[in-house]
Amino acid sequence: MADPVPAIQLENLRKLYGGKAAVDGLSLTVPRGSFFGFLGPNGAGKSTTIRMLTGLIPPSSGSIQLLGMPMPQQEIEIKKRIGLVPDESLLFDRLTGMEFLEFVGRMYGLARPVAQERAGELLELFQLTEPRKLIAEYSKGMRKRVAMAASLIHRPELFLMDEPFEGVDAVGARLMKDILLDQVRHGATIFLTSHVLEVVERLCDSVAIINEGKIVREGPMQELRAGSETLEDVFVRVVGAERAFERLDWL
Amino acid sequence: MIAAILRAQLLSMRSFRLGSRRRGAIFSIITAFVWYGFWTFLAVVAEDFFSSPEAGDLIRRGFPTGLMFVFLYWQLAPIMSASLGASLDLKKLLIYPVPHRKLFVIEVLLRLTTCAEMLLLLAGSSVGLLRNPQYGGVRAAPRILIPVLVFVLFNLLLSAGLRNLLERLLMHKRLREILMLVLVMAAALPQLLVATHKPGQGLRRLFSEAPGGFWPWTALARIALGQETFFSGLILLWWTVAAFAFGRWQFGRSLRFDAQATGSPAASANGRSRSRIEVFYRLPSLFLPDPLAAIVEKELRSLTRTPRFRMVFIMGFSFGLIVWLPIMLGGGRSGSVVANHYLTIVSVYALTLLGQVSYLNTFGFDRSAAQVYFSMPVPVARALAGKNIAAALFILVEMLAVTVASQVLRVRLAGGAIAEAFSVTAIVGVYLLAIGNLSSVHFPRAMNPERVSQGGSASRMQALIFVFYPVALLPVFLAFWAQYVFGSQLIFWLILAFAAILGVVVYWIAMESAVKAAHERREKLLMELSRSEGPVATE
Repeated sequence: MADPVPAIQLENLRKLYGGKAAVDGLSLTVPRGSFFGFLGPNGAGKSTTIRMLTGLIPPSSGSIQLLGMPMPQQEIEIKKRIGLVPDESLLFDRLTGMEFLEFVGRMYGLARPVAQERAGELLELFQLTEPRKLIAEYSKGMRKRVAMAASLIHRPELFLMDEPFEGVDAVGARLMKDILLDQVRHGATIFLTSHVLEVVERLCDSVAIINEGKIVREGPMQELRAGSETLEDVFVRVVGAERAFERLDWL
Repeated sequence: MIAAILRAQLLSMRSFRLGSRRRGAIFSIITAFVWYGFWTFLAVVAEDFFSSPEAGDLIRRGFPTGLMFVFLYWQLAPIMSASLGASLDLKKLLIYPVPHRKLFVIEVLLRLTTCAEMLLLLAGSSVGLLRNPQYGGVRAAPRILIPVLVFVLFNLLLSAGLRNLLERLLMHKRLREILMLVLVMAAALPQLLVATHKPGQGLRRLFSEAPGGFWPWTALARIALGQETFFSGLILLWWTVAAFAFGRWQFGRSLRFDAQATGSPAASANGRSRSRIEVFYRLPSLFLPDPLAAIVEKELRSLTRTPRFRMVFIMGFSFGLIVWLPIMLGGGRSGSVVANHYLTIVSVYALTLLGQVSYLNTFGFDRSAAQVYFSMPVPVARALAGKNIAAALFILVEMLAVTVASQVLRVRLAGGAIAEAFSVTAIVGVYLLAIGNLSSVHFPRAMNPERVSQGGSASRMQALIFVFYPVALLPVFLAFWAQYVFGSQLIFWLILAFAAILGVVVYWIAMESAVKAAHERREKLLMELSRSEGPVATE
């Protein structure tokens, strides 16, 4: 039986920038153990929402509950139990992958030997086995792999992921998907944004689509794709995209 | 195209919606006003001096030396303050079809960002000469002003060339540190020779009164004072053409330079030295609990691998040691303040220099990764404390290096000098760390660790010199003042002890305030640290 306390509960969440709402009255419930896709066009408010969930930016109004605890009141306790893969790099360029993972593990309270052991195993798993290579020398895909490995090191209950597959090659993406599905099978919750709708379609059991700061469609994947529509068809329809380029005669 | 580049830069520097940038801009304006006010005052003094008909002999003897000072300041001050000024970010501009000569013009004009002080002095001196009837008055304007402008152009071209050469060389991993030491030696050599050479005057004459005005500054002096025009003019032109050729050549090489090929970021080291440095990195874990130890260790690892930090660290003791050495040797015979407190002065200089790349902008090198400190289950106070401890460790290593180097150079240190230097630096350090925590959250700024010249912006340096440093130095200054007034070591140490206790209190309060500000301003802080620059890499 599913845990009655949802993994994420947002009530009328708003974030204003200079009077303009980047996130406008967002209310959302993500049950525990679900693989939740949070979709939207560029600038819709996805990253802003994730940044509010992680405590990086405060909301202008509304409430956030993660794993049954209010944010920011129980900020530290929440952070101990979430794993984050942000859109921007959270990596320290001047550390090696091994050093960074060990650092992250210790920040989450792991003892040094445990952090070292897990870091080594994760690096091997993600095929980042050049021990003396600095993160500054990593490719974009390798950086994402390290970020993903860092989000796993403390075995979090909730993953917040902003475009985790961006720049990752097919082998790496497959590995990451397998790991995430396995985490969900073991009871973790994943809240993910991605522009690769095929991936979302295959992985997620529920989806919310946000546009101009507001949720425009939400529900289980199967309900959303009624009939023969793909997720892309639904997405394009609800965010109101059109073939605007046809208006440019010269193009 | 030039206009488009400058407009893009102006737009990149807009401070809309960014409170910290707006505040930073106001702060910069105030400090720039004080800084340039000081130099304007000096320019007025120069104008008064050069316009005086009675000062003829002094002007004849002093003008070439003054111009040499202008030249040295222009070329060396950016290096000494570890602030090479703004420059074009060529990586961003090379993809566009912009002729290289146009980029070079902008690069040369940007050199004005490091020498406005000297322009003021030259302007003051020129106006003074024009008002002095001995040198032809206003009718002599073309004879005075044209060579001055050529001298300015010479300095701009030379500093553009030097900057490009330096920046490129400093990206080479193995060359960087050696080069810095060679530069330090070269910069200090004339001063050292003059200070240690017994007759002294001979060398001084070589640099400032060379026969025939071989140097650009002596040539300019001879023309401006009406002593000789034709040959001196040729010499000045020759130097300017040579500076143009050098500047253009170096700029061209920078355009073709592949930073990646230098392998600068690699953490390569042989097995034994790696394990030795590993011991140093892991030292904090012996005394501190996690996550504090993890943060300190991360800082030690990151900073020692950051080219910018390594350069400033080496400059801290080498430049300080050698630049102050001639002054000490010159004044040592008469027992000057510098001679009596040499080690303290060098240590405090090293401490203040380190501020730009560590404690005054403590999240600067982390850039967007500073989010870690807000997204992980660690209080911000712990992150700041960890970074402070790492900075303190580097300061300690810097001081040990200064002390050892002083012993190697056989500098005569007064009794108790080492204890005094360590105590004073530690106390000033506590105040500066307190100020640094506040400035790190109120005026954060992303710094590219690869750009060895970035981080010590002119306005930041002015702010430090005029606002922060006097505050941090005041308590120890009071101790020294009491020592001289009362002639008592006991009073000196008592005041130092009081300053230390006060410093701890100030640090505590500043930490509380910084943590509060970090929470309240976290969004702006992270936005500022994630910001990328425009086509011109400013400091």
